[in-house]
Amino acid sequence: MAEFVTVGRSDEVPEGEATAFAIGDQEIAVARVDGRLYAFDDICSHRRCNLALGGEIDGTTITCECHGSVFDLETGAPENPPATEPIAVFRVREADGEIQIER
Amino acid sequence: MTAPESIVVVGASLAGATAAATLRDEGFEGAIVLLGAESSPPYERPGLSKEVLRGEQPIEEQLVRPPEWYADHEVELRTGTRAVQLDTGAREVILAGGERVGFDRLIVATGCRNRTLAAPGSSLPGIFELRTAEHATAIRRAAAAGVRVVCVGMGFIGAEVAASLRTLGCDVTVVEVFETTLYRILGPEIGRVLEGIHRDHGVAMVFNDTVASFEGERRVEAVVTSAGRRIECDVVVVGIGTEPSVELMAGTGLDQGSGIPVGPTLETEIPGVFAIGDVADHAHPVFGAVRVEHYDNAVKMGVAVARNTLGAGEAFDDPHWFWSDQYDHQIQMAGYAPTWDSMVVRGSLEERSFCAFLLDGNGVVRGTVSLDHARDVRRSFGLISARAAPDPTALADPDVDLRTLVPAEEG
Repeated sequence: MAEFVTVGRSDEVPEGEATAFAIGDQEIAVARVDGRLYAFDDICSHRRCNLALGGEIDGTTITCECHGSVFDLETGAPENPPATEPIAVFRVREADGEIQIER
Repeated sequence: MTAPESIVVVGASLAGATAAATLRDEGFEGAIVLLGAESSPPYERPGLSKEVLRGEQPIEEQLVRPPEWYADHEVELRTGTRAVQLDTGAREVILAGGERVGFDRLIVATGCRNRTLAAPGSSLPGIFELRTAEHATAIRRAAAAGVRVVCVGMGFIGAEVAASLRTLGCDVTVVEVFETTLYRILGPEIGRVLEGIHRDHGVAMVFNDTVASFEGERRVEAVVTSAGRRIECDVVVVGIGTEPSVELMAGTGLDQGSGIPVGPTLETEIPGVFAIGDVADHAHPVFGAVRVEHYDNAVKMGVAVARNTLGAGEAFDDPHWFWSDQYDHQIQMAGYAPTWDSMVVRGSLEERSFCAFLLDGNGVVRGTVSLDHARDVRRSFGLISARAAPDPTALADPDVDLRTLVPAEEG
């Protein structure tokens, strides 16, 4: 059964920014756009750059700073090459000032 | 012009394949023929000097689309097919062998070829160039740990090849005509920063010198330079620049040494004939006439030209952007700055972490270059497109978000 695990505090993800959190051996990024949270694999599917670190959020997409791949935050789909593979996305919620991701 | 029924793309490249894919994405239901001189389906070239050269990724992972994509989308991909001439009157492309392929719209994406060295001995085995997957595979086979390699030319290709071959454990010496690495694009100050990185990785460098001849019996054994140096080697990789492949346009007046001239919408002066990617000498709305050989530009021109062949009529005004990965460092550059009057640095050249702003005499940001400081290059796009001339103090201040320095549009 799916469960939500706390990854960090709400104030660690300001509006318009993305922050990476470690869950076990996985790095998951959380972005906030117009108040809404999006959670996704922090590792770019192209050359494994960290997306949250230096990635640019524009609308509901993030652009990897290494080689310009663009991903849809909602679906993880690649919107612009060089990436051709999607990144995983996760359900995310906020409760009591904490960010929780479904595992 | 009436709506097109058939679109021919010459050049089964990243730009050409992106154009074909975008035509289908845009709902074009007519015939698309994609002609490629190489035997492979369209592939991306950035990995050829890096992951493919180091044996980390096969060429199959560099394909623009899976091989079956073309048939699945009714794109007639004809590999191993060289287009040799354009008949503008009949609106046909003539293939090697004489077959004619008619078009309503033509997209020329023939790219560039490498400049070659005319020095004596330059046809000896062991001397390589790098443009195609086959070239990368051949260098990879020849260059194992301990093999002595001379890289001729220290532009981006030479620098990436030197870094990849050092990473493989080759013994690398560079011969470069200018006074430092990447001199022509990045200038002496930034070039020396990269020179230092290569030196720290054990690359030997000879500057202000050129190849006079190659020596060897059955294979290359040494490079002899104009200054009289003799560098013994097993392998040579020549990366001394490119020239646009414009032969298809012979007889049209568009086969210029500077590339195929196209207007802001990527259309040539021949109605319905467009050129994109490395071969296009583009009348850029911000930069003026400019021809670049960037991955990102190939993709974006491919998208733009597809829309424009269908009548969108949109000027292509992307601010241009590229990267170069060398060792565990990354250079990025945006804009177009063949020359500049002054340079403002955010960060530190000495610490090898910076974004440099290349300014013209009016303080306008013509280009930005970063080393391991990519975010500021991406955030400079708006400044470049707006031809902004911000306060240099703000440019140098790492706490200032570059996006806030773009002047508000008038009106």
